Amino acid sequence: MIDLEFVINTLSLGSLYALLALGLVLVYGILKLVNFAYGEYIMIAGYAIYLSATLLHAPWYLTLLIAVLAAVLVSYLTELIAFRPVRSQSPNALIVTSFAVSVFLQNVVLIMVSPRARPVQLPFFFSRTIEIAGATVPLRNLLVIAVTAVLLVALSLLMKKTVVGMAMRAAADKFTTTRLMGVPANLVISTAFVISGLLAGVASIFWVSRSASVDPLTGAAPLLIAFIAVVTGGMHSTLGAVVGGFVYGLVFNLLSVTLPASMISYRDAFMFALVVVFLLFRPAGIIKRGYTEERVG
Amino acid sequence: MAMLTVENLEASYGAVRALHGISIEVAEGELVALLGVNGVGKSTTLKSIMGVLRPVKGTITFEGQEITNRSPEKIVKRGISLVPEGREIFGTLTVEENLRLGAYVGFKRDRYKADLEEMFELFPILKDRFHQAGGLLSGGEQQMLAIARALMGHPKLIMLDEPSLGLSPAMTDQIFRLIVTLKERGSTILLVEQNAERALEIVDRAYLLANGQIEHAGTAEEIKRKVDVASVYFGDQTDADSCEVSL
Amino acid sequence: MMDKITAFIRKHQTVVLLAVPLVLAGVLISMFGSRLLLDIYTYFCVSLGMVYGLQVFMGNSGILSWTHVGFVGIGAYVTGILVTPPMVKEMGVPNMYPALVDLSLPVVPSILIGALVAAAIAALIGYPLMRLNDFASVITLFATLIVIHVVMTQWDNVTNGPRTFFGLPQWTTWGIALGGALLMLLVAYWFRESGLGLKLRATRDDRYAAAAIGIDMVLTRYLGFVLSALMAGFVGGLWALYITSFSPKSFYMAEMFLLLSMLVIGGSGSVSGATVGAVVVTIAREGLRQVEATINNAHVLSFEVFGLTELVMAVLMVMVLIWRPSGVVGGQELRLPRFGKKKDVPAEVDGLAA
Repeated sequence: MIDLEFVINTLSLGSLYALLALGLVLVYGILKLVNFAYGEYIMIAGYAIYLSATLLHAPWYLTLLIAVLAAVLVSYLTELIAFRPVRSQSPNALIVTSFAVSVFLQNVVLIMVSPRARPVQLPFFFSRTIEIAGATVPLRNLLVIAVTAVLLVALSLLMKKTVVGMAMRAAADKFTTTRLMGVPANLVISTAFVISGLLAGVASIFWVSRSASVDPLTGAAPLLIAFIAVVTGGMHSTLGAVVGGFVYGLVFNLLSVTLPASMISYRDAFMFALVVVFLLFRPAGIIKRGYTEERVG
Repeated sequence: MAMLTVENLEASYGAVRALHGISIEVAEGELVALLGVNGVGKSTTLKSIMGVLRPVKGTITFEGQEITNRSPEKIVKRGISLVPEGREIFGTLTVEENLRLGAYVGFKRDRYKADLEEMFELFPILKDRFHQAGGLLSGGEQQMLAIARALMGHPKLIMLDEPSLGLSPAMTDQIFRLIVTLKERGSTILLVEQNAERALEIVDRAYLLANGQIEHAGTAEEIKRKVDVASVYFGDQTDADSCEVSL
Repeated sequence: MMDKITAFIRKHQTVVLLAVPLVLAGVLISMFGSRLLLDIYTYFCVSLGMVYGLQVFMGNSGILSWTHVGFVGIGAYVTGILVTPPMVKEMGVPNMYPALVDLSLPVVPSILIGALVAAAIAALIGYPLMRLNDFASVITLFATLIVIHVVMTQWDNVTNGPRTFFGLPQWTTWGIALGGALLMLLVAYWFRESGLGLKLRATRDDRYAAAAIGIDMVLTRYLGFVLSALMAGFVGGLWALYITSFSPKSFYMAEMFLLLSMLVIGGSGSVSGATVGAVVVTIAREGLRQVEATINNAHVLSFEVFGLTELVMAVLMVMVLIWRPSGVVGGQELRLPRFGKKKDVPAEVDGLAA
């Protein structure tokens, strides 16, 4: 049961989940916002692929670019229009705002496109399979691993080597003090949303390629996965999010192969129950860091 | 013409009024102290000047221009720097990164290198700790880093909030000596201290706060003559009876 | 004696101020209103009951209680199973456990049992959840709602799975709905003013300070959570006996969004806020539905407009949060203006860290 195919599948699933979790935790780290609209960035990117590839027949590289840009743009705009004015208010006000943004975006798509699912066309090479040491693996599973690796390296360079990255790490630690250095609060927060959108856009490409379709509720499942991965891994560090993503991918795949067929429909409930139980013993997640609870304004 | 003028500043936390009309002035090159026991509104004053708190009333003028209600980042740009109470070092960032962020405003690469060398001269310990995480430094080292971080931005006015708080006597001496050095180098400094006795030894002028109001103002000598410093330091009996707001 | 009564009423004038217009509106609508208006009013009263239940926990503890609508669902299903005649169940829920099919109880005990079951489940799962804060608390309660939803959709021996559960009598009239809402109002008001409610509000405002004066935060939250679930289960029963057929979808995100928007728009900090929010949202929603229906019926557009209501509700909600972060009512209970006006308390000035 645990063979090379399982390992690659788990790695690819874990990579995808790590991307999802990372995008969520970047914003949470700085703004202490649990962003319920995050799933909608993924959904919008999916519709961008639909528009570009299915309707306009754009070449695949352009399609992928448009998808990522769409997610980045929506993420940035939601910050600018909805979250910025609510920023100094209670954490619940922020969360409820993000929930409202999520409902808003879903219904915009519902009205403008359709409640029904739309097919998306992905690059031809996504559906190829290749053989590695006797195991048959879809090419897109290898792609997601590679892309995630590149993004993780790029992101960690950004955070370590650039001033904006330093400022973001500083802001996640002490937001007000970061402003006392002269770093504009809006710059840090907008950058976090832009990166969050970028990660959502890339993740979306791989997410919608699994079902090859997109509908207004496409964002719900990846959002949940990101939530669960983040709380499992630890919501106070980007490393925690990545670890959480991979752990979630592993547990998911293990449950898929070990649960009896009659119980498989309860798999999600099982996952959440496991996470809730886990959190009771380790409320800060796998990767523990000093709790900073300063709020941002 | 004073560099910094605060007029009639009133601030509150929710329904609790913390400052009842404070007016202070700091001229260029001066070392001025804001003294008083815990909770009289010293930090609130600094935070209001810095734009971290929004005052209810009053105006703050810096170099002839009003900066009331500006955002902290804008005020930093104007040339005021605050070394916050409790150091507020970025614990997960290295000493180097802390200093780099301190130099965020008006960053120039060539000047940055020279500034670092200058900081190493003032605070040799920072050179040894350059690549360590800020959180691993001792309290005194963190205080030095916090001051160095503020100096990296070439502020025209430095505000120090309780720099001696929680430090050993030896370290406290070192910090006070350093403040004198900074003044000699030409910095303008607004110092907030609970340790009135020590502060009065080094400052030019001082304001004495009680219950969100200025009780006495004058040169260090005048304050020393007018007020029983020990009572300020330990908290005056009559003051302790009145309701104090703990910040 | 008279003085005592007046003093009592003055002290608790909030309840009177909220209840009188509510009852008055019901009586007037039942006498002069249309059938549609009475339906809207009845549904409004049931929703109001749900919002009061939500306010009890979320408003006083500051914790986003996603599970609330799940407990409403539990109350609805338990009531449905107990009230619906065995014949109907046999037909409507083909896979139901035989023991459940045979059960049949009168309406009132069924509703009460539904409330108790919801409270019991909350009591069973609640304690550990109440230990969590911030992100972890939001996510785990959210995940718990999903678990409840998955169980509802998958356990077809009890709930008929994702398919509709039907066959309940329409027992809840406007009067009963009003009675339920008034009862919930009293409970929510009593709780907020009680020692326990005060403690819970203290943990909301500053959990460290609350702990420092000896408040057991987890226990306090836990009791509030269970009470809130009890109320949710109770109103869930009333709701089920009004709607008469439902599926797990009725107790999920969309409904939760509606309840949340009522509480947040009105102001979660007070019972008055919950009431005002429910009124505002109901009026806005019904108005928007009319607009949506008019657009669709007029066939001016080449497509049907779905989701306009939700869209505008979302915008409305964000606008309220931007301009009135503590809701229309603003955290305080409604009271008649006093003679000798008190000076206005200066608003929060801290622009940064709240």
